[in-house]
Amino acid sequence: MINFFKKDYGVIRSFDFKKPYVRFIYFLILIFALFVVFIVIFPILWTILSGFKTLPEFVNEPRIFPKSYDIGKFIETWKLLNFGRFYINSFIVVIGSIVFSIISNGLLGYALSKIRPRGYKLIYFLLLWSLMIPATTSIVPLFLNIVKLGLQGTFIPLWLSAGANAFFVILYKNFFDSIPQSIIEAARIDGCNEWTIFFKIVFPLSYSINTVVTIFTITNSWSDFLLPYLLLNNTGKETVMVRLFQFRTSVATEVDIIRAVTFSIIPPIVLFAFFQKYMMEGMTRGGIKG
Amino acid sequence: MQEIFKKYKRDIVGWGIMLPAVLLFTFFLWEPLLASIVMSFFKAQGIRLEKFVGFQNYVEVFQHPDFKSAFFNTFAYTFWSLVIGFIVPIILAIVINEIIHFKGFFRVSIYLPNVIPGLAVAIMWLYIYRAGKTGLLNIILGNFGIPPQAWLTKAHLVIPLIVLFMTWRSAGATTLIYLAALQGIDPELYESATIDGAGLWARLRYITLPQIYNLARTLLILQIIFVFQVLYEPLILTNGGPNNASISLMLLVYKYAFEKFDYPKASAISVIIAFILIILTTVYNKIIKENEM
Repeated sequence: MINFFKKDYGVIRSFDFKKPYVRFIYFLILIFALFVVFIVIFPILWTILSGFKTLPEFVNEPRIFPKSYDIGKFIETWKLLNFGRFYINSFIVVIGSIVFSIISNGLLGYALSKIRPRGYKLIYFLLLWSLMIPATTSIVPLFLNIVKLGLQGTFIPLWLSAGANAFFVILYKNFFDSIPQSIIEAARIDGCNEWTIFFKIVFPLSYSINTVVTIFTITNSWSDFLLPYLLLNNTGKETVMVRLFQFRTSVATEVDIIRAVTFSIIPPIVLFAFFQKYMMEGMTRGGIKG
Repeated sequence: MQEIFKKYKRDIVGWGIMLPAVLLFTFFLWEPLLASIVMSFFKAQGIRLEKFVGFQNYVEVFQHPDFKSAFFNTFAYTFWSLVIGFIVPIILAIVINEIIHFKGFFRVSIYLPNVIPGLAVAIMWLYIYRAGKTGLLNIILGNFGIPPQAWLTKAHLVIPLIVLFMTWRSAGATTLIYLAALQGIDPELYESATIDGAGLWARLRYITLPQIYNLARTLLILQIIFVFQVLYEPLILTNGGPNNASISLMLLVYKYAFEKFDYPKASAISVIIAFILIILTTVYNKIIKENEM
């Protein structure tokens, strides 16, 4: 019994569990936590289950669970909306974004941490401010920039925009700060130039931070919809999120919409299932520093 | 020449390495920000700037009744997010920190809404708040005999309801940050308090809470900055309605830009938002500095 309640952290300690009222409080805490988990999971579950309903069932019958579980309904919607195409487009956006995100933000983080050329503080200062001011406030001039270069209707601006993420640069800089300067100096004395040092020495050491940035980049570019919508709407290159955003103005039945929502949330949930440790770590690591 | 190159080699190489990213940041963030400041002082025909008009766009924006609604609503969002959303992660973190078994399960579960794309979550909640008897909230309340409500059409409820949704979505991430802080508290503090006869409540009140006080202060400002930018939640759920009851400043920018195609006015509001955010960020940085001392 003592082992079962072994606890050497937090407010309640092992010895407290000898008192019945503490056990009761602990029991209440567990119930409360389970209730919270229920509130968190239930709406997601309900959304997925509602996809199994027929349209009359969804709009007329106030029931939580569907009458039947026929996966064929999802397949029908998938074919009707031609969702495979949007998946492919989203994948293209995501893969290009990862490349630019790691190389561009990583290089900048490296220079800010290990090279520190004259004037680097100005860039660092600008980055810290960029964290706070939302990109959406200047989306119109950005859109005009892209149009001037003739890049609307292509994936290129979306790939490139992943390379300008202040949060990732700060994550990288903080990580590189923890690599001993002596390793870098030794490589410099051996005659390596900075590019070689970055790609041959620092990069292989950065497996964990690269994973964190990759996963965040995947979820970011999978979820982004405003810029993709402005650039890709009606070009045949719509991503999954652009398609969801189109539901605001296009005609679709409600069950089709709710199934499309399920299609759009499954890849991030699967990703989370595999990489939850990295995702939650990145959250606490970069969350407040900056 | 060689001498000079040697002296500045590090700077040249350094800037060479930073160049790709600096160009991208300039193109995607910094130049557009400056351009929107410039644009806010002009009249424009579509995207072509026509003539300099000084603060006229600002004056016109201020005088429009939409601005007043958006301005006060944005503060209402912030207020409600502090009432509803600030305390929730603190409680959740303290509760989960006390749990002995399946801790990982609880942490993963509460973080789950964060990984779902914002647009998808907003559409989900559109169906949860759906008017009529088949919205999820109405189904649940129906079991208790409460008749179906058209939730998002109630002017006085719409902002708290949207904030409730935002809290559901993002409380998990904040909880993890608090959890990390709670795990960093020196266990001996609790032990010596216990020896001094402190009960559970006293330990919570005099050890746990003071230990996360600084973090809470920081996160409070971050939350204000974050909520101040609220855009897609009202955009998807209500499009600012009913009757502007849920329009936010960012949503007003969106409407000027993409519904009225009046880019200078959209820019003027953007500049106002950026200005307010700069003030908030200055406060934030000051608090961070104080915490470090």
